[in-house]
Amino acid sequence: MRALQRHGGLLLALAVVALLPATLSSGTLATEVLVYSLAVLGCNLLLGYTGLLSFGQGIFFGMGSYALGILMTRAGLPLPASVLAATAIGALTAAAVGWFAIRQRGTYFVMLTLAFAQLFYFLAYSLPQWTGGDNGLLDIPRPPLSLFGLAEFPLDTPWRFYALVAVCFLAVFWLLERVTASVFGRTLLAIRENEARARAIGYDTNLFKLAAFALSGAVTGLAGAFHALMTGIAPLSNIEYHASEMILVMTVIGGTGNLFASVLGAAFYVLAADWLSTLWPRWLMLLGFLLVAVSLYMHQGLWGLLQRAWQAATRAKTADPSQEQA
Amino acid sequence: MNVYLLQVVNGIGIGMLYFLLAVGLSIIFGLLRFVNFAHGAFYLLGAYFCYQAVQWGMDFWLTLAVVPPLVGVLAWAAERLLLRRVYDKPHEFHILVTVGLALVLQEAVIIAWGPLGSNVATPDALQGVVMWGSFIYPKYRLFVIAFTAVFAVLLWWLLEGTRLGSAVRAGSESTEMVTLLGINVYRVFGLVFALGAATAALAGVLAAPIRGVEPFMALEALGVAFVIVVVGGMGSFGGALIGGLLIGVVQSVMSTLWPEGARLMIYVAMAAVLLLRPHGLLGRG
Amino acid sequence: MTAPTDREPILHAQGIVKRYGRFTALAGVDLRVMPGTVHSVIGPNGAGKTTLFHTLTGTVPVSEGRIVFAGHDVTGEPDYLRVRRGIARSFQVTSLFANLPVRENLRLAVQGAQPQGAFDMWHEPGRRAAVNELVDAILARLALQSRADVPAAALSHGQQRRLEVGMAIAARPKAIFLDEPTSGMGVDDLDAMKSLIRGLATDHTVVLIEHNMGIVMDISDTITVMQQGRVLVEGPPAAIRDDERVRAAYLGNMITGGRQ
Repeated sequence: MRALQRHGGLLLALAVVALLPATLSSGTLATEVLVYSLAVLGCNLLLGYTGLLSFGQGIFFGMGSYALGILMTRAGLPLPASVLAATAIGALTAAAVGWFAIRQRGTYFVMLTLAFAQLFYFLAYSLPQWTGGDNGLLDIPRPPLSLFGLAEFPLDTPWRFYALVAVCFLAVFWLLERVTASVFGRTLLAIRENEARARAIGYDTNLFKLAAFALSGAVTGLAGAFHALMTGIAPLSNIEYHASEMILVMTVIGGTGNLFASVLGAAFYVLAADWLSTLWPRWLMLLGFLLVAVSLYMHQGLWGLLQRAWQAATRAKTADPSQEQA
Repeated sequence: MNVYLLQVVNGIGIGMLYFLLAVGLSIIFGLLRFVNFAHGAFYLLGAYFCYQAVQWGMDFWLTLAVVPPLVGVLAWAAERLLLRRVYDKPHEFHILVTVGLALVLQEAVIIAWGPLGSNVATPDALQGVVMWGSFIYPKYRLFVIAFTAVFAVLLWWLLEGTRLGSAVRAGSESTEMVTLLGINVYRVFGLVFALGAATAALAGVLAAPIRGVEPFMALEALGVAFVIVVVGGMGSFGGALIGGLLIGVVQSVMSTLWPEGARLMIYVAMAAVLLLRPHGLLGRG
Repeated sequence: MTAPTDREPILHAQGIVKRYGRFTALAGVDLRVMPGTVHSVIGPNGAGKTTLFHTLTGTVPVSEGRIVFAGHDVTGEPDYLRVRRGIARSFQVTSLFANLPVRENLRLAVQGAQPQGAFDMWHEPGRRAAVNELVDAILARLALQSRADVPAAALSHGQQRRLEVGMAIAARPKAIFLDEPTSGMGVDDLDAMKSLIRGLATDHTVVLIEHNMGIVMDISDTITVMQQGRVLVEGPPAAIRDDERVRAAYLGNMITGGRQ
């Protein structure tokens, strides 16, 4: 039972990975859910676990996309190496941005992440020789995955690519579960709870925040790399303010209480966008209303809503007077 | 006419609009202590209401007088219904509720007027140019500079010389004290939020004939407003003025030299100020 | 006049000045604390006692002055580094991890003394017996065993003040700085706190800010009286009680209590 509790999140993630092919007809859409789940996990690490509201996640997402695109189309690096490198670049960028941003607290911190987000966007825009400018990087290949020259897994169809992303996603989810439950993770929670207290008992809180940034950047960079592989392009929009905003919105709507909530938030957004945007192009308005509702009444987001529903349902069962009590 | 002189004058014009845009945000931050992400949306509403009014053939002067207070009322309603419920919650939710509001307003604008932009005609009385020796300049832009300058003086008088202004300034120091003095702080919050939104809307109305209207001007305005408020100093009227003019002129001059660089530079400036002197040029240190 | 000690002070602060803008909170304070003693800092409100604590524990940097602790110049070191030197503190306004269980509060404090271990991203906490034993021992000392798994916010005020002290003990420091540990406490809790502080004196140097003269007079070895950012007078309890300047500073006979 304890094992179930401890790994409940991972089991739910596994369930989602299995459910997506069963319920969706588009492999690309299913992959998109997992890709954004990774990005939201990265954002949640900062917001839910360290208490840092970052408007800069798009930076790391975009850098991951660009890195993968540049390495594969210009340096001809194989797929695994490019993905790993993009992850590393995401981590390094986040460490650099974080190093500056954590110099300030509260609102000033938020504004700093915003300033950096805009900065990177305009930088990407004005360096078309690297980023393709407005057009982005095009024709990003998706060669078969070759592991140590032994086996070859073709990734040409959307569902085959989904399989790769799913495996990586579960691995990352499992790793993040370990990290958030670890001594390090608990220290981050303490910093979020009361930073002054954490410092007074001996923790160099800036160092911990920096580590959280690097971790967040790595996961988000990975998401960006997969996004580029999925679509074949590394567009400017991945590093635009809107991307940062949407990742943050997904995080808050899903809920910041635990890791699976991030998957919920990403899935909700991606599937709603796909389904609603054909019905009503202005579906973002609903998202706006939902965000307001969450801010006012549902701080634990969709996850909190589900949790409360589950508790109400199980309470109704145990309130049954015909049950025997020892 | 000297190209750079032209750009400087343009920059002053833009700078005055930037001031209008930023001063509301600055005051809201000074008193309510959070960043209003819906600020760009109020600017947007001002611009689009102006566009609609012109479409209906309304007199421009009437539009100028009616639209900003209308947006102010909308903002006041938003504060009462939404913001007041998050003041006691963690500060992330103050920001997030305004992000949500901004999304709703922006989408509402697109629903009402479509996703593409439109032009807004310059009012008849202000069409054409002014000629003063070798100085040739559009009448409307000069009007904007003059009007905004007068408005700035009025606003300054409101903040410095009236009881409301004193309440606002005192409230920025300590909301607790102000409550103890018997002033209904929440009513002041509502008024300030409305005032901030109204000035943003005013900027929108004035800007519409110059740059037309399109839905994404909200985001652009928000970004610039943030930069000015940070550089000038959050909570400072003078900072919004100096910041606005500085950014306006620099941006205008740079646009002839290195267009992309102009926008990059202002965000570098914003980051630099936040890191080195977070209270900005004139903010309280 | 007591004979001069030939031991080195464990804490030696010289010429401490702290300015906030144009306001000078500390205008040149010298303090020498002898190891193994209970050293109280008293004075009327606004004297700068808490500010002095902030500078000594590294919570805020000094504007001028020098602080030497256990032979190290710690003047430039921020608070989290001074913990490793052996300095720990409690706060005047309760500052705990309110939503975390009491046990977790203490575990964090114990781990904080060896923060490198907190970068372990793989293992869950609670595996090291030494840490668990220390946490249990402190819980017992604070008489909070029954509340160990309750969020800190759910404790009574007196229990929270005790936990504040516990957070300092958990670092196994050389010197503990307690800022008004009994503030807001009722009579029942006071005795428990008093014996807790007295128990601390056997293993630690205790530096204490207190308004409760009963405790101050009873347990202090040395008392430093502050006023308006400076040291007014310093000496053993008996000398302080009879000092005219101290009476004047407190505007009356508030210095009562303790053994006659």
